[in-house]
Amino acid sequence: MVGSPVFFIAIPLLVAFIIPLAGYVSKELVRILPGLVLIYLLALSFSLMGYVMEYGTIVEQIAGWAPPWGINLVYSPFTGFLTTLMLFIGLVIWIYSYRFKNVDFEEGKKFFILFLMLVTGAVGIVLTGDIFNQFVFIEITSIAGYALTAFYRGRDSAEASFKYLMIGSLSSMFLLLAIALIYSQLGTLNMADIASKSHLMLPEFKILALIFFIIGLGIEAEIFPLNGWAPDAYSQAPGPVGAAFAGIVVKAGVYAVIRIIFTLFDVEGTHEFLIVAGLITLLVAEMAALKQTRLKRMLAYSSIGQMGLVLIAFGIGTEAGVFAAIFLMFNHAIIKSLLFLSGSYLVYNSSEKFISEVNGMGKYLPITAVLFSLGAIAIVGMPPFAGFWSKWSVLTAAAHEGMFMIIGMILLVSIVELVYYFRIINRIFFFKMEDHIEPKRPTANALIAMFALGVIILVIGFYPGLITGYIHEASQSLLDKGKYIHDVLSAGVLTR
Amino acid sequence: MEMKLFDIDIIEYGFFITAIALVLIGLYAVLIKKSLIKIVIGLSILDSGINLLLITIGYVKGGTAPVFSPSVIKDMPLTMENIKKISEGMVDPIPQALVLTAIVIGFGVTAVALSLVIRLYRHHQTLNIDQIKNLKW
Repeated sequence: MVGSPVFFIAIPLLVAFIIPLAGYVSKELVRILPGLVLIYLLALSFSLMGYVMEYGTIVEQIAGWAPPWGINLVYSPFTGFLTTLMLFIGLVIWIYSYRFKNVDFEEGKKFFILFLMLVTGAVGIVLTGDIFNQFVFIEITSIAGYALTAFYRGRDSAEASFKYLMIGSLSSMFLLLAIALIYSQLGTLNMADIASKSHLMLPEFKILALIFFIIGLGIEAEIFPLNGWAPDAYSQAPGPVGAAFAGIVVKAGVYAVIRIIFTLFDVEGTHEFLIVAGLITLLVAEMAALKQTRLKRMLAYSSIGQMGLVLIAFGIGTEAGVFAAIFLMFNHAIIKSLLFLSGSYLVYNSSEKFISEVNGMGKYLPITAVLFSLGAIAIVGMPPFAGFWSKWSVLTAAAHEGMFMIIGMILLVSIVELVYYFRIINRIFFFKMEDHIEPKRPTANALIAMFALGVIILVIGFYPGLITGYIHEASQSLLDKGKYIHDVLSAGVLTR
Repeated sequence: MEMKLFDIDIIEYGFFITAIALVLIGLYAVLIKKSLIKIVIGLSILDSGINLLLITIGYVKGGTAPVFSPSVIKDMPLTMENIKKISEGMVDPIPQALVLTAIVIGFGVTAVALSLVIRLYRHHQTLNIDQIKNLKW
């Protein structure tokens, strides 16, 4: 081992505040620094992942206060897997946006600071073992998210950002209420401690706290009635930020909901709730995606729908279901990032981003168009690509539990997905281009980033075995609540 | 073991009523008011209400600061029993630490919200939320 989980939070936070100073030394340094940080953290995450797979969960106490008193970071196979995934997506987005706002130094500087904050917050949500600390990281992520949504001055981005801010801050109040309720009942904020004591809470308060938590966290996880901000934010934010929301922030939100439901409280019926909420989210979002006329709004709704699918898979609750859900999260992060990154080049020079403006782009931007089509085919779940395996494992997990209604729904919705993605592929390759559009060629670094994601989709499609070992380990670590509690609460006794 | 939600006392009762009233006033402003500035003010009031609620949880009537200072110890020998007895009269410091953090976060959110309001005003020349609706479902 070469480092500790604290580095995942301390280093990017430090560098985010050093960037403005680095701007005085060299303008290029501002762009290079975030990448160096992300490369280092990704390497660290890989090496810690190897350690965790062999020796078990790492629990890091901060400032020497043992759990349940101090704040602790938990690097288990599940949290480690998500951390590695998020950092990888972060790195790809950095490569893609290396030349972002190249002429405008100040704007570029702001973008990289906020982007690093966003990644720090999301990684913190996943790693922390303390509910109040999680609240703080959620706020870091959200505030960076508000600022990044409002990044462009010309568009309606301030309106989208204000909507996101209102929903986000109201939901964070609910989160605080839930924390107050738990603290008044159990006198602890440590997740493992709450999990081991939660049977002491009166059931009414437990359910109330659970509802407050789901309202508070459902915003970032895009559960149905709470996701009104998402299409606006995704479509008004810069292209790489849309990819960061879909690949990083949403994953952290889903993790928080799942941790609360699987580990903190054992309330009857939460799994059924997940299935129902997931189904409603899936159906509403995919129907909405079908009637969108703007490319990025369509991608945003598709992203919400995929999160619904993830919730359904978690709701099935068996090991196969959780395996499928984590596999879906992985695939969605990779594929939806590719769609956002390549999609924003397809509609680069149009202000309204209408779907009709991608007509005939296949002739002028062949590589981008092919990569976008690859992503579209993969996310629908066509056989030789990555998306197929995750959808297949959801269906088999549901079939194993005899939930044929759900299988029918998922297949029905897949047809809707197929329709609206193939409509776009059809437009890209077989329609005639509109006159007033000027295609913009992707820069070399953007091409590298998109290629990396495309290659992963193909490789996982042909050799899913490369990743399933990690996902199995992750799903077992999520389901084994007793081991989580034991690992965290015994951390004060054992010193590494 | 059964646990009561709160030990209700007349002073604490007053705190709870104030906190809930603040939350309701804030919610009213956020949901009903049309002016963006008033909505942001409502958000701040809501924030204060929740912070007060958090503080009330750790409040002990007539409690002292959670520091073992000479005036609290009063020449008692520091045995486990005495420490336990003294600490029962102390205010719980954790909710206060949480509220301190929550206040700072609330400040940050309000600052971002106000800067967005300025941007919205420059873009639309109005603060009426009914006239700012370019983005739709």
